[in-house]
Amino acid sequence: MLDAEGRVIAAALREVFQRGVDVPLDDAAFDALARRVFAYQFERNEPYAAYCRRRGITPANVEHWTRIPAVPTAAFKHLVLACGPVDAAEAVFRTSGTTLGAERRGQHYVLDLSIYHAALLPNFAAYLLPDGATLPMLALVLSPEDAPDSSLGHMIHVVMHRLGAPGSGYFLDARTGIREDELDRALEHAVESDTPVCLLGTAFAFVHWLDRLRERGRRYALPAGSRLMDTGGFKGRSREVPAEELRAAYAEWLGIPDDHCVNEYGMTELGSQFYDTVLRDRVETGRAGPRRKAAPPWVRTRVVSAETLEPVPPGEVGLLCHYDLANLGSVLAVQTEDLGRETEDGGFVVLGRAGGAPPRGCSIAMDLLLEAAQEGRP
Amino acid sequence: MSARVSRPPIDAFHLPGLDPGGVARWRVREYAGGVSLRFPQLEPAQLGAVIAHLRESRARFLADRPADAIAAAIAAAAARLGRDDDARRRTALDALPAVTGYSPPMVRLVLDRMLEDWSEASLRELLRSEFPDPGVLDGFRPHPAGRSGSRTRALGPELAFHIFAGNVPGVAVTSIVRSLLVKAATLGKTASGEPLLPVLFARTLAAVDSGLGECLAVTYWPGGSEDLEAVALEAADAVIVYGGAGVAEDVRRRAPAGRRVVVHGPRFSLGLVGRDALDARRAEETAAQAARAVAIFDQQGCVSPHLYYVEEGGETPPARFAERLAAHLARLQEDLPRGAISPAEAAAIQTARADAEARALAGADVQVYAARGTEFTVIYDPDPAFAPSPLNRVVRVKPLADLAAAVGLIRPLAHLIQTVGVAGAGGRLVGLAEALGRAGAPRITSLARMPWPPPTGHHDGQEPLRELVRWVDLEG
Repeated sequence: MLDAEGRVIAAALREVFQRGVDVPLDDAAFDALARRVFAYQFERNEPYAAYCRRRGITPANVEHWTRIPAVPTAAFKHLVLACGPVDAAEAVFRTSGTTLGAERRGQHYVLDLSIYHAALLPNFAAYLLPDGATLPMLALVLSPEDAPDSSLGHMIHVVMHRLGAPGSGYFLDARTGIREDELDRALEHAVESDTPVCLLGTAFAFVHWLDRLRERGRRYALPAGSRLMDTGGFKGRSREVPAEELRAAYAEWLGIPDDHCVNEYGMTELGSQFYDTVLRDRVETGRAGPRRKAAPPWVRTRVVSAETLEPVPPGEVGLLCHYDLANLGSVLAVQTEDLGRETEDGGFVVLGRAGGAPPRGCSIAMDLLLEAAQEGRP
Repeated sequence: MSARVSRPPIDAFHLPGLDPGGVARWRVREYAGGVSLRFPQLEPAQLGAVIAHLRESRARFLADRPADAIAAAIAAAAARLGRDDDARRRTALDALPAVTGYSPPMVRLVLDRMLEDWSEASLRELLRSEFPDPGVLDGFRPHPAGRSGSRTRALGPELAFHIFAGNVPGVAVTSIVRSLLVKAATLGKTASGEPLLPVLFARTLAAVDSGLGECLAVTYWPGGSEDLEAVALEAADAVIVYGGAGVAEDVRRRAPAGRRVVVHGPRFSLGLVGRDALDARRAEETAAQAARAVAIFDQQGCVSPHLYYVEEGGETPPARFAERLAAHLARLQEDLPRGAISPAEAAAIQTARADAEARALAGADVQVYAARGTEFTVIYDPDPAFAPSPLNRVVRVKPLADLAAAVGLIRPLAHLIQTVGVAGAGGRLVGLAEALGRAGAPRITSLARMPWPPPTGHHDGQEPLRELVRWVDLEG
């Protein structure tokens, strides 16, 4: 849990989160909160303070939130970035790493889960349930019992229990994979009873499941209002399928239209998440609008040059850098390895998670070398 | 008046036997600086006609030409590409930076260095190194076993089909040269990363020797175009594939049974710097050579080092060597600037730097010596485990108490090694080479020679000409 000072800031943040995603937080208000959080973190998070001092930035001289040093996600692999003793953390979320087991996993110490939940729920509801629906939530992720350190598992667990209807549950097993029969029964029931559902899962789990539906020739026309949230890349766990192709398959095999398919972009290292705006736009305006990610009012996302780490002109491709007030107990400014581009209305699109570009010459890719090193290990 | 000057596209194909009027569709690729390349979108029948033309031309102009005479014609083409007033050389120097992503000084360096490999002296040396009596390529010669009256002869493929990969200029031309030397009509499918130099070479060869020019075709189509490749794979007796395991496997699967398939997959290199190269007299030169090996090809080459193991106990400690290496990379940024890189490539460099800084903050003795931008990065890291580089001039320096320990550290990867550059091993060199060779490394050389494997070398441990021929014995 947080210390006394942290609990005071948390109360102020909770108030902001509770207003939901429709009440904007202007720059002055965001700046005041961000610098307050920064000062709090600088005091308590020694590795982060050292990182900032190397850049000559302290709470005393940081004149605007944009000057707050962003910690690269790689730092979560080597440092304990927590504003308190690690045994005070209410949860520790770990990155899944890649297919290479030896790679170090990033660790995010969450000192106060209630802040995490306060940021999660209004944001999820705004983009997945903009019509106020209460739906059975069918999850193609591992439950927190099976994957206690997965932030995605935790997130879906909370959403399911706080926003889901009876009939919600997990359909992925740590040993046997997707529980097809149970999922069939749940979907058949949805069709028979004309009850729309919300499917939630990783993109690679959906790819595997769609492959199975194709093999079996099993096609669903789920009731109107059914929707789907997918997330994450493939990381070698299934074949790579472009997002457009995947959404076409959701329409073909599940009967979920394109604008009811919402991609979530989340990170172990962040307390807040980002969602495609399509479903919310469709419900609010009758039109799906351009697909983009929106940040909730308590998050600012900047696109910075991969070359210089300075902001790029609007519309140019760069690395996404998030300033997330929900990261109160760790580090609010996180420099990702994800490439993206700002859209005209202040949203952004994610263009891919930079996992090392393939060599252009005849040298060998990093991941192939790492794989070979793994295979050679006794 | 419009400020935008549009230049006509460069025809990036050499297809003797093709009627250009019969090409219904063209593909144009645009690059920075107004450079664009044009390729015909061939129909399988058109490719078939080109292949038939290559085979007929081989019978007329190539099959009975002495190998030395072929070498002379190739060398004449190379010499012409080396002349500053040559139009094709100017096209190469002008367009290759945009096409490949290398800086203009890098393109010039690489082109001129490659042209040396295609000189008459180099090619004759290659012939002699592969065939102690290169006359076997021209007719029956006494069998080396010397049994009375036994003779032998080497025959190259009638048609060799090359599938190129990557953006390193010259690799494709070297492959074409080898194939012509063994008298194979040659069809080259260029890589999207470097589809130009092999075409300019083919046209130059046609200009100096019109007959030979009819025996060689080069063009681009998207790799894996099954209808076109089926025609080429059916017609070729030998297939030479550059590319990863996936591509090689795919070609093997599609090639009709009995085709000779030669694969050159991606590989990596590293350097070992021993105490003797670190004394006050030599350390600076060693660091300069090490920097150059990283800078050339912007580290994209299979001969480019990912990492240097540096021995402790010399006059220059490994961390100091890392700093000097960075200083020389900074200097090279002036003389031989790195080319432009993509945001994804820059991101990979930022990740490597961030990882190093985080480890330093966590208490490890890690140092980063880097440009303000991503132009170069040297990471000193005491963890001895091999760590691959994201390339584009990112290199790690790792200390070792004894160079010999490097062999064990790279053993799991040794089958993927192209070159180990060694400096300052002194009297230990042969023993070290023996151990590296047994582990799987095919080439051990000096840091200075790392980027430039000699044409006579056993490319990837293979035999560049012998692997293309079959033998006929006439027993006496």
